[in-house]
Formats: sequence, structure tokens, C-alpha cells
Amino acid sequence: MRERVKIVAGYLAGFALLFLVWHLAAVFVVKSALFPSPIPVFVRAQWLIEENILQEQVWASLRRILQGFALGTALGIPIGLAIGSFKPVRVLLEPWTEFFRFIPAVAMITVAVIWFGIGEESKIFLIAYTTIFVIIISTAAGVGAVERNKIRAAQALGASRFQVFALVALPATVPFILTGMRLAMANSFVTIVAAELIASNDGLGKMLWDARLFMEINDIFVALVALGLLGFATDRCFRLAIRAFAGRYNPTM
Amino acid sequence: MALVSLEVVGKTYRGRSGAYEAVRDFSLELAEGEFFCLLGTSGCGKTTVLNMLAGFEAPTAGRITLDGRPVSKPAAERGVVFQGTDSLYDWLNARDNIAFGLRLAGVGRAERRAVAERFLALVGLAGAGDKHPAELSGGMKQRIQIARALANNPRMLLMDEPFGALDAMTRNILQAELTRIWQEARKTVLFITHDIEEACALATRIGVMKRGPGGTLKTVVPVDLPFPRDRTSDAFMAIFRHVHAAIREEIVAV
Repeated sequence: MRERVKIVAGYLAGFALLFLVWHLAAVFVVKSALFPSPIPVFVRAQWLIEENILQEQVWASLRRILQGFALGTALGIPIGLAIGSFKPVRVLLEPWTEFFRFIPAVAMITVAVIWFGIGEESKIFLIAYTTIFVIIISTAAGVGAVERNKIRAAQALGASRFQVFALVALPATVPFILTGMRLAMANSFVTIVAAELIASNDGLGKMLWDARLFMEINDIFVALVALGLLGFATDRCFRLAIRAFAGRYNPTM
Repeated sequence: MALVSLEVVGKTYRGRSGAYEAVRDFSLELAEGEFFCLLGTSGCGKTTVLNMLAGFEAPTAGRITLDGRPVSKPAAERGVVFQGTDSLYDWLNARDNIAFGLRLAGVGRAERRAVAERFLALVGLAGAGDKHPAELSGGMKQRIQIARALANNPRMLLMDEPFGALDAMTRNILQAELTRIWQEARKTVLFITHDIEEACALATRIGVMKRGPGGTLKTVVPVDLPFPRDRTSDAFMAIFRHVHAAIREEIVAV
């Protein structure tokens, strides 16, 4: 408990230092109307929150991320397990994963908008797209990394093929899946902002774009800070989840 | 009739760099309840023999039977204790690791727990059931492995240098414990080692292997000494010297 208080205090101090450096840089170094100090940005943020505008934009982006991420993860885990478990499946699907992996989601915005329009579907498609390959690859790698002796021990205890899969390979892969999800979440942030910048009616990306059009420099910084804090919060959640599921038996996680 | 029989068993690996004959013309019969130590230098094929008996690898020549039935794949009748501790399930606590075989067989939760507690006590770890492998020392992990294999009630136990990675003190303690456990559990054991003293301390018979490739049984030395064994006694020393001479030829010949 004391340890946790220390960590939270450290984080708060770290953020305070970040905003202090920002303030000093804006006031004493850059001295430009194009680089506001955190004070007008926070004043602006407070107004945007009171008007319920910021929450709407954050929620629009976050909802898309969560939906697309859930879809990509739900599809990616079974595919990754199949690729990791069965060589014919791996040989068959590796061209797919290795092909699409190198077409970034940002490049897919164009076709996504043509296929699904500028509504929710295109965003969810893009987030699912950016998520699924990371999940597939980390899951498959996790299955491949199960120690041979763990499998042999189960076989020598009378395990069937299915039992080896369900009771040994699957739990041994969970830390890999969670790590893949954490990486995929970072990708999702990149993708959602890019997608909303180009084609959207709301969301933090749209807010950034509109602020640039109308030269609302404080709005830009509010959106940037919101993205940073949102990302930080989701990553903490993952860290906690990984520790809860995996850290108990794997102190290195 | 012998419990286990290996008849002119051979194993040749075929890889890109050609064929490698790990084991050649290996014949051995194990009687019910005996503690057989297979002793050999590294690379002599002793682990290959164990892997074939476990059913992890198929022999390329000869025949292996248990109770007269051919051995073809791993089964619950042949429990295995591995050299490393990576065979334990990190996500399960000690109790659930020990009861893993029972869970595979569909045994109910209450009975699994009762059996696990009994075997925890047998290996001297009563009260450690809630601990995860990451929280246990190397010696404790090997005790859990032994308990896990025994809790499944196999016909025989195959042990592949289980104490090889432990420090000398812990190894000595576990050797004494293993003798006690073996006497209580009344299981047939095939124990792989390259440690002559360990073999002399544990075995009812010691099989010395020729060096590889084409490793095979060179000689079998019966150890008719009572347990617990006094490692400083003349009788123990005599057997040690005898086995040492046999294995020394294999080392010097390299």
C-alpha cells in the first residue's frame, strides 16, 4: 500500500514537472502566440469541460477505439492460436499476416472511407485492422514459446491433445496476448487520430483539425493533452491487468 | 516377469547434417519396485533412453514394453520428473500443479485437494500448497515435480537428472528424501544421472553406459546395501570404486 502511494506521488510529481517545463519553455524560451503556456490551455480545457464539449470528443474517440479494439482482439486471438498450434494453418496464413502487417492502417483510411463512409464503421474497421495483426503475431509467438517440458509433463500425466492446448498452451500464452493487446492499444491511438483528422464529424482528431482551421491554438493543446492522459490511463489499466493475470506467477511482467 | 523391458532398442536421428546414432542395441529389464540408476557421461544417450521409455520419442529399432504392452506414446502410467523446473505450471500454485494429473482425469475438486495435500506432506512441503513456482526455491520445485508425478499414481517413475541443477547441499538432502519417498511410495524408478556418488546412494542397480554416439549399456552393477546408506562405509566405497573404474574408461577414451 505504501508502495502504491509512492508510485502515485511519483507520477503526480512527474506530471507537475512536465507542465512546469512546458510553462517555462513557453514563457521564457519560445515566447510565441503559437506555443501557449499550460495556463491558458487549462483555462480553455475547463471551459470545454463545463460546456461538455471535451467529454464528447474524448468519448467519441475512446468508444471507437474500444469497439474496434474488442473486435480486433476477439478475431485475432483465435487466429493467432490456430497459427501457433498448427503448422499448415501457419503456412497458409503467414502470407496474409506478413502482407497486411506492412500496409499501415493509416494507408487503409482511404479505402475504409470509400467502403464504410465517414461514420463509425470506417473507424471501427481501421482500429480492428490495426489491432488484429499485432494480436495474431504475439499470440502465435506465445503458443510457439511454450516450453517443451510443460507439454511433455502434461502428456506424461495423461493429457489429451485438447487438454494440452486448453490447460497448458493457452494459459502459458496469456501474458503474450496481454502484451500484444498493450502494443495494439498504442497503435489504435495513432490510427484513430489519423482517421479522425481526415474523415470524421467528431472525436479528438477532428477537434485537432478544426482547431488548426480556425487557429484555436489552445484547443489543439487541449486535444494533445487529452490524448496523452487518455493513453497514459489506458496503458496503466493494461499494466494492472497484466500484473493481475500474469505478474502473480511471473514477477518479470 | 519384468515390469519394463527394452529389447535391442536403438535411436538414430536423421537431420540435415546426416544421421546420428544416439543409442544402439540397448537392452534392459526392470523388475517391479527396483530403483535403477542409468549412469553415463554427457552425450551417451541416457536421456534418449528415458525419452523413449516415456514415449516422447519413438525408437528407430527394437521394442519397449511395460507390463508386456508396447510403449508408443506418453501415458499416465509412466510419470516423468524433468531436469529443469520449466515443466511446472507457473500459473498454478503448488497444490494445483501436484493435482494436475488428477484434473486431467476428471477427479473432483475436493479429492484433488486431499490428494495434493497428502503428496505435499510426502515431499516435505506441507503448508506450501498456496505458493506459486516463482516463489519456491530450486529444490522445492523439484519436490513439487516429484509429488506431481507420484500423485498421478503411475506404474513407474522416470527421473531425468532431477537434482543436476541443484547445489551440493540441497542435492544431498533431496537424495535422502527421495530414498524415503521411494520406500513409502513403492514405485519402480529409472533415474538418469552422471553423478557416480548419487547413483551409489540411490540405486538398487546401476547401469553404466558406454559413451556416445551409439550409446549402449556397458555393465550393470547391483548395489546390495541397506538404506539409508553410509557414504563413508567400506562397502559403499568399494561399489563407488567399481562404478568409477567402469565410467572412467569412457571418459579417458575421449
